[in-house]
Amino acid sequence: MTNSNAYNAGTNGKEGQSFIDEFLSKENSVIHSSDAVVLAMMKTEEIDVIIDEMIKPMLVDNPTIAIEDRGGYWWIKATGKIVIDCDEAAEILGKRYTVYDLLVNVSTTIGRAMTVGNQFIITTELVGLESAVPTSA
Amino acid sequence: MAGSNTAVKEALKAHPAPSSVSSQEVHKWLQDFTWEFKSNRTKYPTKYNMDNNTREQFKLTAKEYARMESVKEERQYGTLLDGLSRLDAGNKIAPQWGEIMKLVANFLETGEYGAISGSALLWDSAQSPEQKNGYLAQVIDEVRHVNQTAYVNYYFGKHYYDPAGHTNMRQLRAINPLYPGVKRSFGEGFLAGDPVESSINLQLVGEACFTNPLIVSITEWAAANGDEITPTVFLSIETDELRHMANGYQTIVSIVNDPEAMKYLQTDLDNAFWTQHKFLTPFIGAALEYGSKYKVEPWAKSWNRWVYEDWAGIWLGRLAQFGIKSPACLGDAKQDAVWGHHDLMLLAYALWPLTGIRVSLPSTEDMAWFERHYPGWYDHYGKIYEEWKALGFEDPNSGFLGAIWMMQNGHGIFVDHTSSLPFCPTLAKSAVRPSFLESNGKRYAFSEPHGERMWLQEPERYEFVNFFEQFEGRELSELIQSAGGVRSDGKTLMAQPHVNTTGLWTLDDIKKINLTIPDPMKILNWQPTQ
Repeated sequence: MTNSNAYNAGTNGKEGQSFIDEFLSKENSVIHSSDAVVLAMMKTEEIDVIIDEMIKPMLVDNPTIAIEDRGGYWWIKATGKIVIDCDEAAEILGKRYTVYDLLVNVSTTIGRAMTVGNQFIITTELVGLESAVPTSA
Repeated sequence: MAGSNTAVKEALKAHPAPSSVSSQEVHKWLQDFTWEFKSNRTKYPTKYNMDNNTREQFKLTAKEYARMESVKEERQYGTLLDGLSRLDAGNKIAPQWGEIMKLVANFLETGEYGAISGSALLWDSAQSPEQKNGYLAQVIDEVRHVNQTAYVNYYFGKHYYDPAGHTNMRQLRAINPLYPGVKRSFGEGFLAGDPVESSINLQLVGEACFTNPLIVSITEWAAANGDEITPTVFLSIETDELRHMANGYQTIVSIVNDPEAMKYLQTDLDNAFWTQHKFLTPFIGAALEYGSKYKVEPWAKSWNRWVYEDWAGIWLGRLAQFGIKSPACLGDAKQDAVWGHHDLMLLAYALWPLTGIRVSLPSTEDMAWFERHYPGWYDHYGKIYEEWKALGFEDPNSGFLGAIWMMQNGHGIFVDHTSSLPFCPTLAKSAVRPSFLESNGKRYAFSEPHGERMWLQEPERYEFVNFFEQFEGRELSELIQSAGGVRSDGKTLMAQPHVNTTGLWTLDDIKKINLTIPDPMKILNWQPTQ
């Protein structure tokens, strides 16, 4: 089964005129709400380890996660939420590593991103509207 | 691998890492030191009611912010100054890409300047301590980004084999036909008007939407075209943008529960989206597809992913429950995403002496790529380029200029008064539906009804003198010289219609053409439809 969050899933899987027709269709001229979140992380020594040792294993619990190597960065998309625990990352990396060290290399987010304790969280939830902004882990 | 993570988690739970006071506890404590709202005055009041209890999602303290940013700087400049210099990275870049970065980095720098002011006025307007904290960090970020974008041009100016334009592009701001569009979207859009509207322009649309293709996915194109500098710098810039996106979201959170907000919010959002889209959609598309030798994917697909499916779906779509609707201009924006950059590039080729960069007509390989991804491209644009090439587009002795060919063939170039960008009604395939209106004895051109509506609602906001009005009657070579469009020898043009190192055009070659700048509104006698 194709992951609907994959980099070229859906309309982008089509080519040429088929792509243009679907892209410009009446159905696609209005916004459809999405429960996905997107992350782009710069390739660095630490981030490559976090991708291999923390993000890829998340697929066991959340098979909607899509991970793409896009040259200088990793592109990640998932339904719901992604949590990166930097205490766990510090243990794996073998050095002090806080959530603010992680943020040195998080290049973009689509969704509601935040720090909670030493965790980085990106969620589809509308924090501040549907729920309060969490203050501690 | 999953098993080893479980072991780590269990070990941490049993033996939590010793800690002193965490930075987030400090952040919480610092919120007690707040402003005295009763005596607080703002220079920039907003028509919206911003909630004083709005939060900041990243809980920054000055200490953690400074440490984080200094690590970014060390990593970025360390990479550029050491490793890449030894690899001679500046000279391994595809020439088309080295040229387009003269505009990309410079235009982005202009945007970062506007963003300093935009986030500063938001700091002044907001009353929530946490919200002020987020905006304040953004002001400092934007100063950093001005330095970073300038550094890209500096690096190219020092290491790339054709530095003209990387060293001095902004001196051409009076004649480059794109600069007024940059100023409209990045300048006026980011820092003028109501502060909340500025936040929507800058943070919710400019940053949360368009920086993803402009600053993130562009790095893939850069790397494919041999540019190892831009990915290092741009991906570092974008590590700050995610906090700015959160600032924009919290601006919406701070106002959306006030029923009065909905009087303005949809219109402000629609206008901001159209303002940013009008410049960024055609510009980014043209930069990627026409500024590259090696192409990654059609711009319309990138737009579909980053703008439509993810930004619109994840940000606006989720806010629909609070009354946010699809922008009325979305259908036209998508039409522009397919064809707008091809229209813009046609005008860039026609007006190349004013651009300050070396442009090259699409190769046979490029043409096949364009036709494969944009069926109908060849019949509409490709044939024109073949004719121009045969007429001597590249040859300094030919006396050929695309702009003259267009006028002689009845294709007038006009300046859209709202977006400040040029358009050609008779050759456009994007969502162009021109109109020509008169007000107080002056005539204005509009490329489509969305911008026309914005002008009709606030005409005083869009006052500017366009290129044709400003320079009507000036001879082209004299204008280029006085604007600073020549290289250090005082006669060879900065801009060229090819990327070869010989056969360079000089002021004399332009003078031979004997073009006096016309105002197409007069010579083609366009009139509003009766």
